[in-house]
Amino acid sequence: MITINEVSKSYGKQLVLDQINLEFPAGQSVALIGPNGSGKTTLIKLILSLAKADQGGITVNDKDVSEGGSYRKEIGYMPQMTRFPENMRVGQLFKLMQDIRPDIPENAYDLELYEAFDIRKMEPKMLHALSGGMKQKVSAALAFLFDPDILILDEPTAALDPVSNETLKSKIRHAYESKKLVIITSHILSDLDEIVNQVVYLIEGQIAFHKSLDQLRQETAETRLNKIIVTLLHKMNHHVENH
Amino acid sequence: MWKITNYIFRDLVRSWVIIGYVLLLFTSSWGIFSLENEPDKAILNLLQIILLVLPLLTLVFTTIYYYNSLEFIILLLAQPIDRKTLFKGFAAGLMGSLALCLIVGMGLPLVFHFPSLQSLMLLICGLMLTFTFVSMALFISTRISDKAKGMGTVLLLWAFFAFLFDGLLLFFMYQFGAYPIESIVLGLSFFNPIVVARTAVLMTTEGAALLGLSGAVFKDFFGSPVGLAVSFLAFVSYISIFFRLSWKTFEKKDM
Repeated sequence: MITINEVSKSYGKQLVLDQINLEFPAGQSVALIGPNGSGKTTLIKLILSLAKADQGGITVNDKDVSEGGSYRKEIGYMPQMTRFPENMRVGQLFKLMQDIRPDIPENAYDLELYEAFDIRKMEPKMLHALSGGMKQKVSAALAFLFDPDILILDEPTAALDPVSNETLKSKIRHAYESKKLVIITSHILSDLDEIVNQVVYLIEGQIAFHKSLDQLRQETAETRLNKIIVTLLHKMNHHVENH
Repeated sequence: MWKITNYIFRDLVRSWVIIGYVLLLFTSSWGIFSLENEPDKAILNLLQIILLVLPLLTLVFTTIYYYNSLEFIILLLAQPIDRKTLFKGFAAGLMGSLALCLIVGMGLPLVFHFPSLQSLMLLICGLMLTFTFVSMALFISTRISDKAKGMGTVLLLWAFFAFLFDGLLLFFMYQFGAYPIESIVLGLSFFNPIVVARTAVLMTTEGAALLGLSGAVFKDFFGSPVGLAVSFLAFVSYISIFFRLSWKTFEKKDM
């Protein structure tokens, strides 16, 4: 569904992404991980065409992202932490989003998270008065609202309470099991191993590895993702030192 | 586009800065008219507010609002909406709410106390200045990603238009006072929207008589229908040039 072909991006002199090639078909749930500044957020921005690649091309459902924004109809995006307009209410935000998506009829909305997170109760609240976790619930419900085929979630679970965390995780699992594509970035690796089946590890703008979780488990004889990553990084460092 | 405008507008009219701005305009306009017996003088006092407070508030408020909304703008841009539509909607919301402040805060007292050509001219110039400075602030804040630098630039721009420009112009006039430079000064004055507004309003009042010889040249020009049309045209070009530059920047920008 998403094809990234030889993409490079630099900000000023700093090369943030260096000739990245990636292919994400439907039914995958991809963990996009890597240290700070490795280019995860930039990659997401390029997919959403919030920034433009210096080189290479990205296609989403065979549409080039540089040719108009209609391809984003199929994408639900949950940003890391959003600062919403101060004097807007939660209900108004949902109304606004629905207003800019007249192509989706009201009976096609996916209200599962909206109801699970009890957002109807939050509707009269001002957005600036919401806590970090509540904002994240609102963002998550918005990302799933139009039942998109692709979900891009940036640190989705960072501020959620345990119950909401489980709700969101089961929603994500359900999404890729029903042949949607999910891309998640997170530093909380322990949250990821139940909800991803692919791992892309970025270091300094390059792909250190892109493998399925099953394969990684076999290679490292570990089950937990955080252990797997530590083991692999050890191996890679060793490899570098030996040369 | 108007959907975005509608929501931005509704967010803005509830902000305390906007409410404070209306109250400030309203109380000062009403107050000046109550204290001043001659409406012409009151207009000149109000002109000072429009020339100093309005540009500063418009520039600073627009810049802060843009930077604070950036994350929300990014969220909206992840939707299937094109950048041009979003940006125009956003700018229209800002211009609309600031214009409404002026119409309510200053327009109402003017209609009540002194419904006249001068008042109309003052209000029109105020609106034009609002649109001009919103466009300029958007141009700067889309160009400069760093909030502190953007803010600094905007303040510098205000100081330039409000004080430095006059100083430089005066310096120039003293240096070349021996030559017939009225028409050059006239031409230069079009590079500052505040000066255009000031002259346009001043020429409709009797204050013009205070300007001496160059005042006579100005009065000949600005007092005529041609002069009015040129001032209006100057404003329209400020607004369209800076607005166009800012959405062109916004369209290509890496968020």
